[in-house]
Amino acid sequence: MEMFRSNTVWYIICQPPTACGYSTGQLRFRGVSQMPVAEGKSVQQTVELLTRKLEVLGAEKQGTFCVDCETYHTAASTLGSQGQAGKLMYVMHNSEYPLSCFALFENGPCLTADTNFDVLMVKLKGFFQSAKASKIETRGTRYQYCDFLVKVGTVTMGPSARGISVEVEYGPCVVASDCWSLLLEFLQSFLGSHTPGAPAVFGNRHDTVYGPADTMVQYMELFNKIRKQPQVPVAGIR
Amino acid sequence: MADVLSVGVNLEAFAQAISAIQALRSSVSRVFDCLKDGMRNKETLEGREKAFIAHFQDNLHSVNRDLNELERLSNLVGKPSENHPLHNSGLLSLDPVQDKTPLYSQLLQAYKWSNKLQYHAGLASGLLNQQSLKRSANQMGVSAKRRPKAQPTTLVLPPQYVDDVISRIDRMFPEMSIHLSRPNGTSAMLLVTLGKVLKVIVVMRSLFIDRTIVKGYNENVYTEDGKLDIWSKSNYQVFQKVTDHATTALLHYQLPQMPDVVVRSFMTWLRSYIKLFQAPCQRCGKFLQDGLPPTWRDFRTLEAFHDTCRQ
Ligand SMILES: [Zn+2]
Repeated sequence: MEMFRSNTVWYIICQPPTACGYSTGQLRFRGVSQMPVAEGKSVQQTVELLTRKLEVLGAEKQGTFCVDCETYHTAASTLGSQGQAGKLMYVMHNSEYPLSCFALFENGPCLTADTNFDVLMVKLKGFFQSAKASKIETRGTRYQYCDFLVKVGTVTMGPSARGISVEVEYGPCVVASDCWSLLLEFLQSFLGSHTPGAPAVFGNRHDTVYGPADTMVQYMELFNKIRKQPQVPVAGIR
Repeated sequence: MADVLSVGVNLEAFAQAISAIQALRSSVSRVFDCLKDGMRNKETLEGREKAFIAHFQDNLHSVNRDLNELERLSNLVGKPSENHPLHNSGLLSLDPVQDKTPLYSQLLQAYKWSNKLQYHAGLASGLLNQQSLKRSANQMGVSAKRRPKAQPTTLVLPPQYVDDVISRIDRMFPEMSIHLSRPNGTSAMLLVTLGKVLKVIVVMRSLFIDRTIVKGYNENVYTEDGKLDIWSKSNYQVFQKVTDHATTALLHYQLPQMPDVVVRSFMTWLRSYIKLFQAPCQRCGKFLQDGLPPTWRDFRTLEAFHDTCRQ
């Protein structure tokens, strides 16, 4: 049962530490004939397949990475006086930015803070409470290919593997919309022809310089989609 | 035939002239003999003086006569080699023993050869001046002592003129911003920012571009003490490649007489990198080759090519 879910590969495309447009989307290998991922392969097997393809391409291993996310909701005591539904807040970390902590709202602002922010959240217990078993994270290996940085990670929630994240970063380009075609060609070189169409953000945020927060927003949206995904995929859900 | 004839006539005149010279010389030496002998062999002083003066006069008269004769003959001789292209060396053709000493024909060969050499050297120098690889005139063949003298005028342009040329180029291209500074005396350094694509550090010597380094838009271009970092290269392979191509472009765009045109051409070429990540290769139609976008820009058409796809 678990194995079916693992067939879903999520990807994140971003540029450099300070740049990129983003896309969260989902790529289903199931039923895609060109992809040699048979239905029912485990997360582990799919990750291995992807990393092998990267190595064949000439990519080199460059350590590991980790992105985690914890959900907080507004405490009940403050809710009453406001008289409205509590907003969810996500507190995230990214091993690429070991000294930073990110606090995000859905469709809202993204705050980039020092790692001390975690301590602050403990003190704010009265206002924000951590949702139970909400911690979700992705871990995996970083690969360097020319100026591309590819991070293939296994997304886990609690004890179970829930999917695969693929992040592609192209450092030299700081404007996402400038290099979508180039990124697409690169994605096709190891994901096959079934790569996504240009994500809306690549067109929307024209000429904006990409920042680390943009990557975190993408991971947040990706994690949310994975959370909402039913534990057992229904047939024909593509 | 006429030449041979005239040479014959001249030869006769020569022979006469030579005997005239001999006569002149002997008459002149008689004058000195007479002077050397002085007044002697006469009984009375008066007789001695008279005889000496008469003798001396006779000798001078004969010198005068012989000199006149030589002058007359020399007019007949004329200037035989005057209209010969080889001047006096043309007389070698008169040498009767051609077979043993073929000097004259060898001389003619050498003359023709050196004429041709001069002609071709002239053509070559004209062509090379248009396409000079020599970036300043003082780098070759001039001794160290004379170097300051040989400095081309383009190296000593006033800074104000350089500023004007650069600011005119800056205004020409709206997507390109050029910041000029002079941290090390008179030589200017430019920081060129092209859209949100790349930054270029340009080290100038007067209006000559000495060095360029291309870096990413988000890369640091300053050293720790806040100066432009003209030594370290980009961390990205794509910009290292573009740096190589920009150095090639510096050697391509050369016109020592008009350095401002060279700078403008170079900047026009550089501007074509505004589409570095957006232009597919004009040959293979792809964006990536070995992980790199098309980093080469044709010098004339400014079209994008992969390094290995250009002709
Ligand atoms: Zn090509």
